[in-house]
Amino acid sequence: MSTQVVGDDLQLRKRARKLRRILLLAFGGLLTLMVVAGLDALHSLRQLDGIERQVNQRYSTHTQALTTILISVHVYHDQMERYLLNGESSEGSIDADDVQNCGAKVRDALQEYPADSEPDEQALLSEIQQKFTEQENSFIILVRQRAGERPQERLERMGEQMMLRRAYILRISREVSSLNDHKLMEAKQYLAGSFRNVQTRLMSMVALSLLAGLLLSLLGGFYILRLERQSRTRYEELVASRQELEALSTRLVDAQEEERRSISRELHDEVGQTLGALLVDLGQLSKVVPAEDNFLQGHIARIKSIVETAVKSIRNLALLLRPPMLDDLGLVPALEWQGREISRRGDMEVDVYSEAVSEQLADDVKVCVYRLVQEALTNAARHSGAKHAQVSVAQSGEKIRAQIVDDGNGFAAERVRGMGILGMEERVKRLGGSLIIKSARGKGTTVLAEIPAALGVGLKS
Amino acid sequence: MRKIRILLADDHKLMRSGLRVLLEQQADLTVVGEASDGREAVALAASQRPDVLVMDIGMPSLNGIEAATQIAQSHPQIAIVMLSMHSDESYVLRALKAGAKGYLLKDSAEADLIRAVHSVAEGKSFFSPAVSKVLLDDYVRKLKRSGTEDPYDLLTPREREVLQLVAEGKSNKEVAQLLGLSVYTVETHRSNTMEKLNLHGVPELILYAVRKGIIS
Repeated sequence: MSTQVVGDDLQLRKRARKLRRILLLAFGGLLTLMVVAGLDALHSLRQLDGIERQVNQRYSTHTQALTTILISVHVYHDQMERYLLNGESSEGSIDADDVQNCGAKVRDALQEYPADSEPDEQALLSEIQQKFTEQENSFIILVRQRAGERPQERLERMGEQMMLRRAYILRISREVSSLNDHKLMEAKQYLAGSFRNVQTRLMSMVALSLLAGLLLSLLGGFYILRLERQSRTRYEELVASRQELEALSTRLVDAQEEERRSISRELHDEVGQTLGALLVDLGQLSKVVPAEDNFLQGHIARIKSIVETAVKSIRNLALLLRPPMLDDLGLVPALEWQGREISRRGDMEVDVYSEAVSEQLADDVKVCVYRLVQEALTNAARHSGAKHAQVSVAQSGEKIRAQIVDDGNGFAAERVRGMGILGMEERVKRLGGSLIIKSARGKGTTVLAEIPAALGVGLKS
Repeated sequence: MRKIRILLADDHKLMRSGLRVLLEQQADLTVVGEASDGREAVALAASQRPDVLVMDIGMPSLNGIEAATQIAQSHPQIAIVMLSMHSDESYVLRALKAGAKGYLLKDSAEADLIRAVHSVAEGKSFFSPAVSKVLLDDYVRKLKRSGTEDPYDLLTPREREVLQLVAEGKSNKEVAQLLGLSVYTVETHRSNTMEKLNLHGVPELILYAVRKGIIS
C-alpha cells in the first residue's frame, strides 16, 4: 500500500511539473505574440511614414522643376517676341544673344529635372526638349535671315509656326504636371492600402492574442476548479480516515481492555482456582500418607512447592492484566493496592489520597483512571528515579480529577511522547476528558487528568 | 457436644469440595450448605443460620465483600471468614469493614482453615500469618522510607492492653471487666489510642493490630 502511495505521489509530482511547463509555454507564447504584433505594427508604420515622406518630396521636387521649366520657357518666348518686334536698332532693346541666353536657361532647367523620372515622364520631357530645340533652331535661322526685313514681316512669317510650337510645349508641360499629380495620387492610394494592411494585420494579431488569452484563462479556470474539487475530495477523505483511525484506536483500547479482563479472569478463576483446589488436595494427601514415609512426603512437598510457584506467577500475571480489586472493591482500593504494589517492588514510595470518590463509577471511567495511574507510576518508578510519588483522586460534581506527582528527574514533556503517554491521552480523550503532563528536567513530573464521571452505571459482573 | 455448623460459599466447585472434605474430617465441624455465588450465600445464611460462613471474595453476581456486608447486618451472630487470594491491605480492610472476623488466604487454606473456623466460632479474630507479614512489611517499609517514628511507641502499656482486647473483638464492657476498669476509662483509652495511631473505626484498629502482630 505504501509503495502504491509513493508511486501515486511521484506521478502527481511529474504531472504538476509538466503542467507548470505547459503553463509557462502558453503564457510565454501569448506574450511573444503580443510583443511581435506590436513591434511589427510599429515597424510597418515607420516604413509607411518614410515612404510617404519620400513620395511627397519627390512630388514637390518634380513640380518645382517643372515650374522652373515653364517659367524659363515663358521668359524665352517673351524675350524672343520682344526681340523680333523691336529689332536691334532701338535703344535698350534686346539682342539675339539675350534670347539665346534665355534658351540656355531653358535647357538648364530641362537638365535640372530630376533623373528619377518614369519612362513616360522621360518621354514627355524629351519631346519638350525636342520641340524646344526646333524652336531655337527656327529662331537662329530667323535671326540669320532677318537682315533687311521689316520686323512685322518677319514676325508674321515665323510667328505662326513658333506660336504653335510654344503652345505644344506648354501642353506637354501640363501633361507632365498632371502625370505627376496622377503619380502622387497613386502613391497616396498605395500608402493608404498599405496602412490598411498594417491595420488589418494588427487587428488580427490583437484578436488572436485575445482569443489565445481567453482560451488560456478558460483552461486555467477549469484546471483550478478541478484542483479545488480534488483537494476538497482529498480533505474529505482525510477527515474520514482520521475519524476511522480514531474509532479504530477507541475500539483497540476497548478490545485490549476486554481481552485483558477475560484473560485475567480466565487465569485467575480457572487456572488459579484449579491450582488452589489442587493444593488443598495435596494437603489431604500428605495427611493420608504416613508421616514416616519420607519418600512420598518429600514428593508431595515438592509438588506442592511447584504448584505454589505456579499459583504465584499466575496471580501476578492476572493482577497485571486486570486487577480483580477494580471489580471486587472499586477504584480507590485498587489504586491503593497499586500504590503499595509499586512501593513493595521498588524504591519509590507511593501515597494514595482520595476524596469523595463514588464506588458506583462507570467501568470505563474506573479503568481509565486506573490505567492512567498505573502508567504514570510505572513510568516514574522505571525511568525517573523518583523516591516518592503521590496519587490524588477526587470527585467533584460530575468530574473525576486524578493527579500523579513524582519527585523524579522529569523529562521534556513537549518532546517525549512515548506509547505510554499516547495511550493515556487516547484513553482520556475517549471519555471526553483532558490530560495535562507537566515536566521538566530535574523538576519531577505531574500528570493531571480530568474525566467526566457521569457516564452511567458501572459494568457489574 | 454441639457441632459447629458451617456454610461454604465459593464459585468454584473444586475448591468447595476440597474445603468440605477438609472440614468434615473434624468431628466437631459440619458443613450445612454450599453456595456458588454471593446471592445464594445471603439466602442460605438466612435459611440455615450457620455459626460460621467461609466465603470467597471474588464471586459472580454479588461478590464476597458485598454479601458479607448484607449478612453481617441482618445476622450479626454469624462469624464470617473471608477467603481470598490477596494479602493486600485493601482487601483485608474492606473485609473487616464488611464485618468479617477472619481473613484466610487460599494458599494456606489447607493449613489454617480449621484453626480459623475454631477461632471465629469462639468470637476471636483470625488472620493468615502471611497476611500479617505482608501488612507488617508494608508498614515497616513505609515508616522507614518516610523516616517517621512508629506511633505504637507512643502508646502507654494500658492503651496497648486495650488495643489488643478491642482488636480481639471484645466490647468495651468486656474489656472493662477484664482489666478492672470502668467502661468510661476504657472508652477514653480506646479513643486516645485511635487518635495516636490515626485510626478511624474498629476495622482499621483490627487491621493495625494484625499488622503489628498483636493479634493473629
